This record gives sequence, structure tokens and C-alpha cells, in this order.
Amino acid sequence: MAHGLREKAAISGIGETAYTRGTTKSALALQLEASLAAIADAGLSPRDIDGVIPYFPGGGIAEDFIANFGITDLALSAFVPMGGATCVAALQTAVMAVATGVCRNVLISVGRTGYSGARVSTRLQQFPQFALAAEFEAPIGIFAPAQLYAPGARRHMELYGTRSRHFAEVAVVTRQHAMLNGNVVMNKPLTVEEHQASRMIADPFRLFDCSLESDGGAAVVVSAAEHARDLKKPLVTIMGVAEGHPESPASIAQRPDLLEFGLAKAAPRAYAMAGVGPQDIDVAEIYDCFTFTVINQLELLGFCKKGEGGPFVMDGRIALGGDLPINTHGGLLSQGHVVGLNHVIELTRQLRREAGKAQVAEAEVGLVTGYGDMGDGSLAILRRAA
Amino acid sequence: MSQVATPPAPERPLPTPTRESQPYWDGLREGRFMLQHCAACGKVRHYPRPVCPHCFSMESEWREASRDGVIHSWTVCHHPFNFFFKQMTPYIVALVDMEAGVRVNAPLRGIAEEDLRIGTRVRMAFEPATRDVTLPCFEPA
Repeated sequence: MAHGLREKAAISGIGETAYTRGTTKSALALQLEASLAAIADAGLSPRDIDGVIPYFPGGGIAEDFIANFGITDLALSAFVPMGGATCVAALQTAVMAVATGVCRNVLISVGRTGYSGARVSTRLQQFPQFALAAEFEAPIGIFAPAQLYAPGARRHMELYGTRSRHFAEVAVVTRQHAMLNGNVVMNKPLTVEEHQASRMIADPFRLFDCSLESDGGAAVVVSAAEHARDLKKPLVTIMGVAEGHPESPASIAQRPDLLEFGLAKAAPRAYAMAGVGPQDIDVAEIYDCFTFTVINQLELLGFCKKGEGGPFVMDGRIALGGDLPINTHGGLLSQGHVVGLNHVIELTRQLRREAGKAQVAEAEVGLVTGYGDMGDGSLAILRRAA
Repeated sequence: MSQVATPPAPERPLPTPTRESQPYWDGLREGRFMLQHCAACGKVRHYPRPVCPHCFSMESEWREASRDGVIHSWTVCHHPFNFFFKQMTPYIVALVDMEAGVRVNAPLRGIAEEDLRIGTRVRMAFEPATRDVTLPCFEPA
């Protein structure tokens, strides 16, 4: 029997601001600008929004949406505090809300001044989930995600022979895709040589292994599928969605296996809900806070075996025209860092066949992941149902 | 000519011990590696927390543990992310499987980057950071 929530909800609207390094706008203004664009894209009025899941901390909260949009009866205000896994995990919350009739249209949104405002090592200290890292790891010189995730990447290299050259492939292919998109921070070509010569941040991560600190906003509207059918755009349904939390969720250091995290738990549930497997995926938008994180997730998603992610990304396989095109918009590495909500937007565009020069021909089913907050994971599988 | 203020010295990030973790930090200051154990089932847990995740007992006791371990993985920090650490870059931080069955993340002294291997034996040492706070580090065993 099909899962009770399968295709009960749809991505009805998508919106984003320009992605930049430098802005005079507040994170809240960027978030609201993207939200208005997403609501207009759905063919709705801001007053039709009756549920909000803003990215937190940073940007606005429910009160801001009520005040700015004149919402008279908001039925749901929720946070999904999972760092980079938030946006895709928020889809699960939104699906539950619209499938049960609690809400009709849930707005998921991000506003961020990651370049113009507080930078990453300062920002993280605001997260309650980082209290253990602040107590035990910051004093010994480990602050930023690059430093926290580097030992996992190093271990993968030592155990499986993965090389920085494999990381470079992810960075270079992602940049090639970014150059097909008009709204990106990084719009100049990147070569493997430039990647390999870029300065070391936290071994084995070089500069071009790390995602961008950028300014921008992004938003999506999730609506009940039965209502979304009547809205403006081709129907893109949520077939399956799940979140997963790793062992030792607030400390990577104490996790039994550094290479097994929340996505390992979310993936089987999301695939089961969707009724599809990795072999059915036409395009994948993979949370790319670091190049290696993509390689690790491809393994946990079942596209290859554990340890084989490095060789898997080579020879054009993950590029447009390859077996599994990934991050067709340029990702967090080259487009901009709005905590992966841009990945949800890009997958929706692909399935609507609105992806322009980066369009994957005949894209019918795709997936999008979230990863963050020391290893929380989330996965959504979307389908063109138009 | 306007006076240019001397910027304050960068502040070292220090732990803020909790009621659960205070004995760990007290131990380091005394040169001892103390770990929290469940008083009911005896299992070790780190980082410190109020409830045993195995038997749910809220009673715990602190025991001194072996300072020996083997390298599980590592990173070499080149970009400081924090001004205090700028003077120290590049620095190696090792993630170590301790004999007691927990991991400790701490700076590694006395082993060159090219000699780092999973499984290399190391021993915890103690480095006073301030009068009140001592931090762990690792040295060749």
C-alpha cells in the first residue's frame, strides 16, 4: 500500500533574490522579497499563506510574516532547527501540515547576509545545537564547519584512497553548471589546476572545496496537491521526504562512524515513501557545503557503495549529459548559500522544465538533500506530475 | 594627527563548564583525564550529560581514565577562523580513540603532518590555558 503522504503535497511556488556578495538589504528584507516572489509564482496572494517555517536563527519569524503580509489567521509557526538539513526537512513538516488540512499553503523561507553580516564562525555560536562544540572544541581551535567536517573527509581518504582530485571534480563540474545560470556569485570558469592550487583551509579542504558565504533570500510554497493542481505552474509533487538524525548528534567527535550521518537514516524512509529508488532518479541536487560532502552523500543515497564516491564522480558522470547530473544550478559552492533552499528551487525548475541551459532532458523524478548541524540529514524526492 | 587605538589582544575562546561537565575540567586542571560513568550500569559517556543513554539512570560517578589512545583521524588548520589562533597556524588537531572507549579532539604536538596515520599511538598531555582552565593535547606515546 502506498505511503499515506505520498504525493499529497506539491511545491506550488518558488522564489529567490539575486545571490550576491555585498548587499544593503537586511536578511529579513531578502527573505520577504524571495517569499513574495514564490507566492506570486504560485499564483497566490501573501494572505493565502497560513503556515510559515522560516530558517532559524537569522532572518524573520512568524510575527514578521504576519506583520508584513497582513496574514489574518496564521495556523502554523514552526522552526526546524537542523542547520543545513533544515530546508528539506521543513518540506516534511509542510507536507504533514497540508496533507492533514492544518494548512493550505506553507511558506518555507531563508534570508541571509552570510557575506555582509556575521560570518560563519560567529554565526554558529548562536545555535544551541553547537553548545558542546563551543565548550569542548572551540577552545582547542575547532570552530567552523570546515574544521569540524575535515576529519571525516581525511578518514575517507585514508580508508578508501579518495583523493583531492575527486573533490576537484565536484567543484569544477558545479562551476560549469553555475555558468549556465544567470543568478550566481561565481561566474568565471574553474579548472582542476586552480582547485588544486587554492589555499588550504582545513586539510583536506582547500578554498574551492568550501561553499560560499553570500547574501540572498530564497523561498518555496508547499500546497496540498489537490489545490496546487489549479495553480499557475506545472505540478511538481513531493513523492517522498524524510529527515534523519545521527548518533551523537551534537558532536561529530563522539560519533562511532564519522561517515554515517542523518541521511543514512532518512534515505530508506524517503525512498520507501516515494516508492522509487536511486535507479529512478534523473537529476539530483545534493547539499554541497563541501565538495567531499557530496561524495559522502552519494554513497549514503545508494548511488554507489561506501568508499566508492570518489571514483563515482569522475568522467562526466555528475555533469549535465552524464548518468546523474547534480547541482545543475551551481549549488552552495558556486551559486550562493541560502542553506540549500536554492537546491529545492532548482529541482522544481528542472521538473517544470524551466531550467534553461541547464535543463536535464525529460527530467521526471529528482531528489534533493539537506545536510548540516553536525550531520543531520534530509531527503526529498519530487516528481513532475503535470 | 588622530590617535590610532591599539586593537585589544584577541581573546582566547574558553570553555564554560556546566554542572554536568565541571568534574571533567577540574580533572584536566589537576592533570587527570576524568570521565563520567553511569553509577548503575557502569558504562562510560562523553561528553558529559545528565542521563545514561543505556539504562537511563541519572546517577553517575567520575573515574580517572587512561591517557593512551590511537589516532582516528585529524585535520590541519590553516585558516584561523578566530584571531587568537592566527599566530598558531598551521596547527594539527587529532581525533583520538581513547582506551576508555571515548574520543578526544585536541591539538597534536611532536608528530609531523606527513607522518600522521590512522592507528598511531598517542598520549594525552595537559596544557594550562589560564589559571583556571587546562586544555588537553596529544603527544607521541
